[in-house]
Amino acid sequence: MSDQWPPVDSGLELEWVETVQKTIERVLRRMAGEYHEDEYGFDEEFAETVFPIWEFLYRHWWRVEVDGVSNVPGHGRALLVANHSGTIFPFDAIMMGTAIQKEHPLPRWTRALVLNWAFDLPFVSYFIRRIGGVSANPANLGRLLGQDEPVMVFPEGAKGFGKPFAERYRVQRFGRGGFVEVALETGSPIIPVAVVGAEEIYPKLGESRALARLTGAPYVPVTPLFPMLGPLGLLPLPSRWRIEFLEPIDLSGYGPGASEDRSLVFDLSEQIREMVQEAVYRGLVKRGAAFF
Amino acid sequence: MSVTGRVVIVGVSTHWGSELARKLTDEPGVTEIIGIDTAPPKAGLDKVRFVEADIRNPVISKILPSLKPDVVVHCGIVLYPDEDRPSRALHDINVIGTLQLLAACERVEGLRAIVARGSAAIYGSAPGAPAFFTEDMARQLPLVTRFQRDVGELEGYFDNFARRHPGVTCCMLRFQTEVGPGLDNPFVRYLTLPVVPTQLGFDPRLQLLHPVDATGALAAATMNPVSGPVNVAPDGAISLSRLLKLSGRMAVGMPPLVAGTLFRRVGSMLGSGAMSEDGLFLLRYGRGCDNRRLREEVGYELAFDSEGTARDFAASRHGMSVLFPSPHPGSPVRSLGR
Repeated sequence: MSDQWPPVDSGLELEWVETVQKTIERVLRRMAGEYHEDEYGFDEEFAETVFPIWEFLYRHWWRVEVDGVSNVPGHGRALLVANHSGTIFPFDAIMMGTAIQKEHPLPRWTRALVLNWAFDLPFVSYFIRRIGGVSANPANLGRLLGQDEPVMVFPEGAKGFGKPFAERYRVQRFGRGGFVEVALETGSPIIPVAVVGAEEIYPKLGESRALARLTGAPYVPVTPLFPMLGPLGLLPLPSRWRIEFLEPIDLSGYGPGASEDRSLVFDLSEQIREMVQEAVYRGLVKRGAAFF
Repeated sequence: MSVTGRVVIVGVSTHWGSELARKLTDEPGVTEIIGIDTAPPKAGLDKVRFVEADIRNPVISKILPSLKPDVVVHCGIVLYPDEDRPSRALHDINVIGTLQLLAACERVEGLRAIVARGSAAIYGSAPGAPAFFTEDMARQLPLVTRFQRDVGELEGYFDNFARRHPGVTCCMLRFQTEVGPGLDNPFVRYLTLPVVPTQLGFDPRLQLLHPVDATGALAAATMNPVSGPVNVAPDGAISLSRLLKLSGRMAVGMPPLVAGTLFRRVGSMLGSGAMSEDGLFLLRYGRGCDNRRLREEVGYELAFDSEGTARDFAASRHGMSVLFPSPHPGSPVRSLGR
């Protein structure tokens, strides 16, 4: 044995010691408050820390295949409009963000607009905020796009997120088209996104009214595993996923006053919904069997 | 506007009234500063002429016109309930006081501007709130607390006055929470508790306004008032957990069932009466305000952002450990000694 510590002869051991040292340093630094948060409360270091979990889910659990990720602009504002599903936890948003981080030639963090109710939940609220969630509000969307950030929106909202398993992959009405208004105002390109696979992770068979009343939640889903198995029921099923990013739609040709034109806004919103729906059907055929 | 002329500061004996008076004495455009309050200012303001009057009393309508002000600055709006001033008394001072003051302003000839030091509490704090409120979002969320309704009411009177007197520039400043060394308000007292209770599972985004900017913005708005509301808020935001970590405070998360009652008790410990509903909501959901109007229209350059304020506050507190909490009124250490 050598007198030196850490021992120099074993490269592997040295690496291990260094990793532990760095981790301890980081934890101590964070405990002293020395880290960065942006004005929305997004904490990049925290997002990086939890990223390996998403990476594991992405690669091994859901075996995500991605099409057209280069349709997302590498810089400048972009509005990603996707179908919504997942019933319990919005993994679709997280996997879209992971796809951009892992597959895009110019990876960057993507913000997501999250249902307001989530910000009333203890722990969930600040977890979501730290990984880049912002409350679903036209003012927030406009501000983020104005700062040249890529933002994901799910205009179906709770209607799409909490639909029963029998209605899977039927894209619901796109709210009031507020996202089109903001895109027109800010001159942001819209990238429609179709996510296939998130419908099977928590198949919603029914819902419990009593639990919903008790917790104040919009709905409490009943899946084959939840809430029967308790926390274990929160384990998502390992379906196979496919995410397709469609070509950007340039709205700058409509001019600045176009956001006032209600019928144009509704038309565009409906066109985008149809594009997402078609891409979802296409993706379902390409994916084949849901689990194996 | 280069020459501001004669400035009347209502509520000159309050902390911010005195600070403003001190700041304005160096301004070449200000020819005279007159202070109105119920008691003379504590610190010596030798260049300020003091007039004793109560804005809740109609006599103010006789006094104010005789002073012939060019600009009236209303610093008498109380933003925090105090031990000896519960929220019911605040209504009298804030709403009725402002109403009387505005009535008095109607009789002033040649009045150019009224500037009021109001509160960003009018926006409220809610889970689905915009990350940054702009000035036009004031009544977007329902006014739920008593203080919010008071601020809403007095802003209503203010808007009304502005509509009827287009020649007078009416500038309503909406201040975010001030935090700084040497400052005494319930939020600063909360931050200096030996162990700081927080609401378990919630980590509000806060904007901390540095005292330098609070005075600076008030003076800038007095020199260059603009019509309508203006947010006085720093750039960026900081989460409560990070603020407490930076200032080396120990935080203890309280489960929601306990938090409600406990926080009200904490309020009385802080010498602020029961902690207001506003404080409770603010410490759960936080609040952010957009400051573009202040920077671009009033033309005030903020010296500190939220993080800078937190760091400055932390530096001033450096060395103050759990063993030596500040002996502010109502501090547990002080009450132990009694």
